[in-house]
Amino acid sequence: MTRFGYVQNDSILHRLNPTLKLFSLIVLMIGIVIYPSWRLSGLLLFGVVIGFWAAGVKLRLTKGRTKFVILFSILLFLVQILVTTNGILLGYIIPQIGPIGPLFSITDFGVERGLAISIRFLLLIFSSMLFVSVTDPTLLAHSLTKLRIPYRYIFSLVIALRFLPLFDLENHAVRMSQRARGITPEVTGLRKIITTIQYTFFPLLVSALSRVDSLSMSMDGRGFGYSRDRSYLRKSEWKGRDTLFFILTVCILAFCILLAMDYFPEIAIFL
Amino acid sequence: MLEARNVTFSYDSGKRVLDSLDFRVKPGEIVVITGPTGSGKSTLAKCLTGFIPTSIPGEFSGSVIIDETEISELNLMEVAQQVALVQQDPESQVCTLQVSDEVAFGPENYGHNQEEIQSMVDSSLKAVGSEHLTHRRTFELSGGEKQRLIIASMIVSQPNYLVLDEPTSSLDPTGVLQLRTILEDLKKQNKGIVLIEHNLSAVLTIADRVLVVEGGKIHPFEQKTDKKATKSPKSEEIGDPIISTQNLSFSYGNQRVVKEVNLSAHIGEVIALMGSNGSGKTTLLGLLGGLLTPETGSVHLTNKSLESMNAKDIARVTATVFQNPNHQIFERTVWKEQNLVLESLGLTSSDTLQQSEALLKRAGIEEMKDRNPFSLSHGQKRRLNVSSSIVHEPKLLLLDEPFIGQDWEGCEFIIDAVAKTVNGDGAAIIVTHDPVFVKEYCSRAIFMEDGKVLLDGEPSAVLERLESLGHEEYSMEVKLR
Repeated sequence: MTRFGYVQNDSILHRLNPTLKLFSLIVLMIGIVIYPSWRLSGLLLFGVVIGFWAAGVKLRLTKGRTKFVILFSILLFLVQILVTTNGILLGYIIPQIGPIGPLFSITDFGVERGLAISIRFLLLIFSSMLFVSVTDPTLLAHSLTKLRIPYRYIFSLVIALRFLPLFDLENHAVRMSQRARGITPEVTGLRKIITTIQYTFFPLLVSALSRVDSLSMSMDGRGFGYSRDRSYLRKSEWKGRDTLFFILTVCILAFCILLAMDYFPEIAIFL
Repeated sequence: MLEARNVTFSYDSGKRVLDSLDFRVKPGEIVVITGPTGSGKSTLAKCLTGFIPTSIPGEFSGSVIIDETEISELNLMEVAQQVALVQQDPESQVCTLQVSDEVAFGPENYGHNQEEIQSMVDSSLKAVGSEHLTHRRTFELSGGEKQRLIIASMIVSQPNYLVLDEPTSSLDPTGVLQLRTILEDLKKQNKGIVLIEHNLSAVLTIADRVLVVEGGKIHPFEQKTDKKATKSPKSEEIGDPIISTQNLSFSYGNQRVVKEVNLSAHIGEVIALMGSNGSGKTTLLGLLGGLLTPETGSVHLTNKSLESMNAKDIARVTATVFQNPNHQIFERTVWKEQNLVLESLGLTSSDTLQQSEALLKRAGIEEMKDRNPFSLSHGQKRRLNVSSSIVHEPKLLLLDEPFIGQDWEGCEFIIDAVAKTVNGDGAAIIVTHDPVFVKEYCSRAIFMEDGKVLLDGEPSAVLERLESLGHEEYSMEVKLR
């Protein structure tokens, strides 16, 4: 079982200003929407994987959740190939065997579209995972407060990040309890699917709601909401490296916009 | 003085949970409040700390007075500066990821400056003996460490009164001992402390007064001697092995939590599985119940390898009940929940349904069969967990801390269920910290440390050996049940 959430470390990515990291994540998303090329998305995905390595956060490609994400992206790729029939024909998934076939054509446009969607999906998930792994929620709260965002809203984000690993563990506990009663997830038929969902989400939902009750009492009992402003013990800082990273992020966004506006046709053919 | 005068409360205009109740605690006093499951102890705690009626709806009358000020004249944040509530589950009360952030949360909300906050955090952590945890991640802490963290984060704003709801429920004996020391220190600082606790033996030595909440009223505690001791489930005859392990190991990520465990449980045995928080007991239970896959080694259940059995085959023979009741409730009514195993194993018949109803009656929740199980009290939910897990008469019970949050009747029901299984050619392995139960009701005790079996033998001998190894806290509690 792997834990999902903030991973304590002292890498360069950990030390960057939390708001800047959030801004970079948003820029990355906007960039690939503005210029939806699979090559550019692939390049950025490569950058994110390097980010995991630089941050000292293990990606564990073959385990649990990450494995599921990769398998799902492969499924997205295959579905796109199947449903996109226009473009130059490259071959068939099932070749002609006697009187049967050929079936399911593969076109260059289908492959390109499949790659674009599946890589964008991977980029979206992995960059969010990297952000969560390298961002201290308390420092994020402080840096967002400096942007004049009310701390009540900010703390809902902090608490979500705090409870991510806990809900991960709870999901595991519920599955163990199901097995203990001889209940195994079944997906053969709508009724069985609904029962499986009920048996998983009911306990998780109730557990989450009871935790929300306890947590809100605990927070109220410590003066949360006492005044419009609050102070912080640990504070985020903006340093020279943050300015450099900010410029780099803005340049990436500008580059995506200019590519989309066809300002760099000689570069665009490679991207 | 913290005082409740003529307090009456009911949720949703229903039955009165508290009925004209009077209570008071003085500064420098420790008052323990006990009572049956669902008797209104936690409701009283919420009244004393102002959450009722401010943020929890219901019909409230009477008054709560803190040092001569009516609580109704204060807002919740002002009340919190004078009376703090430590709730039952420490995990649910932590809202940040670092220990220092968690303790600083209160002073930050009250707008203290950075230097003041640092000094308050340091002194509060020192007061609970946890200075060494300052930079630790909150989710990495043990149950005892989390409990101390929550107490530190509540006393950081210097309240005069502290109300703790079942504070020992997630603690091992070492944690209970530390908690007692912390509470005694707070008492010396003239704090008034209200302790709501089922496990009286854990806190009796530090209590100035013990009260009981029952039928919405409060009255002094009297040890009941007229209760018949529940018959010990220990069987005279020990039969063949029902489950055995060979070199069993298991890891979470890189952390090995069960290390080469070799043990077997025989027909007729009631085995107490003991050890500190994090020693691997719950994981071992999961491995024995076929709910986790061993990293190395094997488990044999009734001479068959668990690997060769599917979930239903294993569930027919075993019943595993974990600690958190909410994770083990799946259906919309108590009755459906009670019969879920019968249905999933295809064992539903008029006979089994009749037996199921009788079992629900013994659990004391038959009258609630049409209710949503999530609406039951914590203790009732745990009884339903046990009742619904043993309805098909499994041969092996694997119970994780079943007595936590249980009153006398609840404990009696669980002990009876164990006796029935053991006397019907079965066995039981029970994770527990209760030395009274271990001595009187178990035929064998296993003590785990750091994922390994450290001691395995006759309960008295194991407890004596633990004392000689410096773990006297595992046998020092007084009998009260």
